[in-house]
Amino acid sequence: MLEKEPSVCEEHNYNKLFRKFYEPATKYIYYKCGNFQQAEDIVQNVFIKLWKLCNTITYSKAKSYIYTACNNLFLNDVAHQKVKLKHQKTLTDTIDYESPDFIIEIDEFRKKLKAAINTLSVKEREVFLLSRVEKKTYKEIAEITGLTVKAIERRMSIALRELRDILGKDIKV
Amino acid sequence: MAKNYIDDDTFLGRWIAGALSKDELKAFEQSETFKQFEIINRESQLLAGPNIDTETALQIVKQKLQTGAKTSKVKQLWYAIAVAAVLILSLGTFLTSNKTYTTAIGEKQTIRLADGSVINLNANSSLSHKRFFWLHNKVVKLTGEAYFKIVKEGPFVVNTSKGAINVLGTEFNIKDRTQFEIKCYEGKIRFTKLDNTDTTKDFTLTKGSQILLDHSMIKEQTFKEDTPDWKTGISKFTDQPLSIVLEELTCLYPITFDINTIDTTRLFSGSFTHNNLENALQTTLIPMGITYQKPEGSPIIILSK
Repeated sequence: MLEKEPSVCEEHNYNKLFRKFYEPATKYIYYKCGNFQQAEDIVQNVFIKLWKLCNTITYSKAKSYIYTACNNLFLNDVAHQKVKLKHQKTLTDTIDYESPDFIIEIDEFRKKLKAAINTLSVKEREVFLLSRVEKKTYKEIAEITGLTVKAIERRMSIALRELRDILGKDIKV
Repeated sequence: MAKNYIDDDTFLGRWIAGALSKDELKAFEQSETFKQFEIINRESQLLAGPNIDTETALQIVKQKLQTGAKTSKVKQLWYAIAVAAVLILSLGTFLTSNKTYTTAIGEKQTIRLADGSVINLNANSSLSHKRFFWLHNKVVKLTGEAYFKIVKEGPFVVNTSKGAINVLGTEFNIKDRTQFEIKCYEGKIRFTKLDNTDTTKDFTLTKGSQILLDHSMIKEQTFKEDTPDWKTGISKFTDQPLSIVLEELTCLYPITFDINTIDTTRLFSGSFTHNNLENALQTTLIPMGITYQKPEGSPIIILSK
């Protein structure tokens, strides 16, 4: 016997989905577009659509619907714009640290790291941040982005190489 | 030593996931760039994502759902219907509104209606009729007393508190105060008592006849004059209770009476003028053996024997 799936149309089920996926989905879009307000708008619109389509989306399919719809809305909405993360403004001119051993100014370095992440392309940045900041496994990232694990390994590698190219001179070993 | 991280496009990705083989890792750890990658990796993991207030967002989404496009269209339709209804109702109210003429105490007014009929409104009376489309249904409502001179053109109805008077081109007087009296001066009129549904019991009045409604009993009488007294500026009474005379006085002069112990059922015959209060009081009260006091600046007339 098949167990009947909870209906998305029931408010408590809908609330459950919202509480579970709103935050990660918003972060996901934020890592893509770099504009928190825009990210929230996109994800909220997706949840509005989810409510309107609650009859056609099963509870177990809701997760993939949310991420796919978020991604589509993001592509429609902002892909054509030059996207940059907000903290771009903290980017300072590259300073050549003369200090012999190590990084002295850890704060300065973190600012530079953020700035460097901002310069990554959307593809690499989303994967890098989902992995390093959200601590998601490649499998989870693959689910969210709809990519293969192999593709994620590749994008991760590119991201790290680019970051090192930018930041290498700030890290005196 | 091969630069694995450049040649192998998944190498660094696998390093992050901890999926490198022992040999691969050992070689990588000894490379000059390893330290840099390690610091980037370590520092990246210390970054924080944005703070997200899920509950507030949930409220926002629910608000948006309530005021969403679908419902707002329905709402807009309802607003439109409501506005249209108000317009129709207010237009309807205006079209069906009444025009009212009112005379104050001691005041008289002549009204000319749209069909050419003339109505003389006595003091303390009012007449109203529909503002629009009145000619299609000539009905007026009277309280108080008025003299009607109606043109011979279609039916004309006067509604009073005691009944309706149907008219076809005539002249008559209606007095609807404590006393109800209709006098026909010309032509023919028909009086339908308010509670009467049987038209065969209607009263028909012709020139020189009058009816008097006394405790819902109808008395038919005749009269001789060809115009109501009040139109000539006097009020005439023949064997009328004093109370009716006093009422008439209060309609024509801005006064009230303090009756005290006076018996107002006594009958009075005589008249008073409409343009001199002192004169009117003397001609009505002295013959009845009543003295009166008129305090200066007060509208109250105190009566005594």
